[in-house]
Amino acid sequence: MLGLPEEFTSEFIARLEQLRIKTRREYAGVGKGSHLSPRRGSSLEFSDFRHYSEGDDFRYIDWGLYGRTDKLYIKLFKEEEDLLTYIFIDASASMGFPERDRKFSSAIAMALALAYVALAAGDRVMIRVLGGRGAPPPPAFVYGRHRIVELGRTLGGIHPGGELDLAAALARELISIRRAGKVFLISDFLMMPNAAERALGLFNAANMDVTAVQVLGAGELDGQGLSGDVEAVDAESGERVRLSMGPRERARYRESLLRLAREIRVFCFRNGLHYALYTTDKNFQDFFLRAASEFGLAH
Amino acid sequence: MGLFNSFGLLNPGALWFLAAVPALIAAYLARERPRQATVSSVLALRALHVMRGQRFGGRPRFTWTFFLELAALGLAVLAMAGPYLLRRGAPIAIVLDNSAAMQAATPAGKSRFETAVAALDAALDRADSAGAVTVYLTAPQPRQMGGTLDGAGAAREAIAHARTVDAPDDPAALATLLGQLNSDPHLGRILFASYRPIAAPVPARFTPIGVGDPIGNYAIGRFILSRETFGAAALHATITVANFSPAPATLKVTLEGDGKPVGAAEAETAAGAVATLDFPRLPPAAVYRAVLTPGDGFMLDNTAYATGSSVKSVAILFVSPTPADGASLGAIPGITLVTRTPDQYTPRDLAACDLAIFEYAAPKELPGVNALLVMPPPDDPVFRLRATAAARVAIANWPAIDPLTDGVNFRLLNMRSGEYFGGHPWMDAVVSGAGGGLLLSGVRGGRRYVAAGFNPFPYLGRGNLPMSILTLNLMGYLAGFGAHTGGYRTGEAWLVPAGVNAIIRPSGERVPVSAGALFTAATQGVYQLAGAAGAPTLRAVNLTDLGVSDLQNVPPIAIAPGAQATPAAGATMRQPLAPWLLAAILGLIVFESLFVYRRRRPVAA
Repeated sequence: MLGLPEEFTSEFIARLEQLRIKTRREYAGVGKGSHLSPRRGSSLEFSDFRHYSEGDDFRYIDWGLYGRTDKLYIKLFKEEEDLLTYIFIDASASMGFPERDRKFSSAIAMALALAYVALAAGDRVMIRVLGGRGAPPPPAFVYGRHRIVELGRTLGGIHPGGELDLAAALARELISIRRAGKVFLISDFLMMPNAAERALGLFNAANMDVTAVQVLGAGELDGQGLSGDVEAVDAESGERVRLSMGPRERARYRESLLRLAREIRVFCFRNGLHYALYTTDKNFQDFFLRAASEFGLAH
Repeated sequence: MGLFNSFGLLNPGALWFLAAVPALIAAYLARERPRQATVSSVLALRALHVMRGQRFGGRPRFTWTFFLELAALGLAVLAMAGPYLLRRGAPIAIVLDNSAAMQAATPAGKSRFETAVAALDAALDRADSAGAVTVYLTAPQPRQMGGTLDGAGAAREAIAHARTVDAPDDPAALATLLGQLNSDPHLGRILFASYRPIAAPVPARFTPIGVGDPIGNYAIGRFILSRETFGAAALHATITVANFSPAPATLKVTLEGDGKPVGAAEAETAAGAVATLDFPRLPPAAVYRAVLTPGDGFMLDNTAYATGSSVKSVAILFVSPTPADGASLGAIPGITLVTRTPDQYTPRDLAACDLAIFEYAAPKELPGVNALLVMPPPDDPVFRLRATAAARVAIANWPAIDPLTDGVNFRLLNMRSGEYFGGHPWMDAVVSGAGGGLLLSGVRGGRRYVAAGFNPFPYLGRGNLPMSILTLNLMGYLAGFGAHTGGYRTGEAWLVPAGVNAIIRPSGERVPVSAGALFTAATQGVYQLAGAAGAPTLRAVNLTDLGVSDLQNVPPIAIAPGAQATPAAGATMRQPLAPWLLAAILGLIVFESLFVYRRRRPVAA
């Protein structure tokens, strides 16, 4: 539909309209929006008192407090601004394997769904693609839900490929980010746990509200295509591992993958990050809507 | 004959290697043959990296490739055992005479060769076709035609491709071949189809197929061209003709030069006699062809060829402090004169010359060609001639019959100054005077050397006829009388001369050759020797063998009786199977390469 993934049916988009991004911190935006900002403003959300000074709007004088203290205080309210939303997509070669699992397509759909939620709520979205082949979206915020089509077409022209050091790539991206905001990082996180933790910790240290979305293939989890004597070649590093795969090895392999995912999940919970695991055998729409809270979304 | 009776192993001990097959299977199973699969990450696979297939006793993969390689292994072991099939049937050897004499026509109108081939076909029809057959041809030298042929049909086909040659056979080599065949116990029969009979007693296994009924024949023997006299341009042909018929005959030879009649001669020849016909003063031509009439059943020897270029000119090196003295020599037809002063002369100049003349000079070493020394200097270190100068020399003694003095009237020879030679270790005085030898002659190292105590060249010409004749005698003697050739014979091998890179057969076929290689001319006619530059050199090749032409008296071939082997009764032949097994193994390997290794391309997991 208009260059968007097939999962974007009108019903699904309507359901996305009902969602909004919920952050655990307040971030300053660049325009009026629906998210509380640390700036003082004119929302109904009380923020603080301060002594009245000449020139202040006397409509905000707290007369009750004046009656009790015989001093003039004015009430301060929080500002409501838009949210700067950053979506990072891992487009390294590992996202392209196994091909039948269509991990990267799922990651694109996930990114577009998150972007649509943000754009529909009046937030600004910047999508960054890490690695891969093809022309990435420009490093600028887009605003307005109509821009989702443009994003969809751009992302549709990108194919996974190449080797990626996720932490190093994110560190480079972080240098160009001027304002903190919400960060979605979509990856298979098939790396050493400490490498994934280092990548996620970068944004946490930068006071970002981070949601890690791990995308794994259902066949990948089951070790499909690996049977008998096989020489497994790492899609990114080219490292070769020779093994004989039987039912027991396949079970051990699945257990190892899930253990890696579990370690990332534990790290996220310990550090106040959102975490969601999507396996490609699940219905995308159902998963996205049911796991909205795990993404850091709210109805 | 049952299967097991017809099968055997040359090396049955090799079957013990089959015991090694289980070990080889184990090695096969231990061998890594993984297929490649690209995965998103090997992170979770590292803990599993020890392949069970690498461990002894690991899980075997009984794929079809395993059984294919097991089959190849089994076949290899079987091939090592040297299996063979026993085939009953006596191998036959066929010796088919394809020499020139087989071209003779029989009274039935067919050639002897055609008759022999038909007789062989009939003999093969009667033979057990299960046995192997080897076919030998006899001319120019006995040789096997192809390999061992499988059955009579293949032999018949091979014989159909055999052709006669214009060359005679070699009776000694043929007798050797027949003796070798006779001593081979594996052979059941030996069919010998030839015009030559086998001397009695004929060995038991020999089946002579005689096609040598006596035929009256007239033949040209030698066809020799030579110069009429030394230095003359005109040629002289000498042709011998033979009458191998029971009655006297008038044999006529017509001679053509480059296709035009240049002469004819005839001779009344008795039965079994040979006559010589002379053709004097022939005009120059490139190719001469002699044709003998009347015709007969063997036409090959009724024609002979000769080439005019075979009568070469004589190249003379004239070394003298006064080279102009040799000018009169250069005027003689058929002589090419090269002059040098003693200072210019080097021994390399002799390479292109037939003889050398040193006038008032002497070489520093013995010349490599026949040489004439005219009044050599007294300090000559090579010939060491002791000469005594005389103001006037007079000839007193000369032999009546000598190539140097033939036709010279010494009484009319008038000479002035000269020198007498003293005695010489290896040169004898042919002409001498009162003071010693005036003309010495000797042979050293196969070369002829003549020393003259007088100078004949100023006197050349009609003004001094005796001196001119003496000079021509000297030139003829030193030129070796070799200025003629009888040509080359069919079946003889030549050394290809330097500078020749192709030989064009009489049929026009061009054969690339390299200098120094041997070339056998099996066909009568004129061959052209082509080089990189210049016109081809012509070379005539003739049968020139009156022994072959005598089709009435053919000596029988004697087979050494001691060489006869006992014929193998019910002879069997071992047909080796190893080549077929090896071919099957190769086929299996190719099959595996095509269908198995192609699957090892990386696939995405």
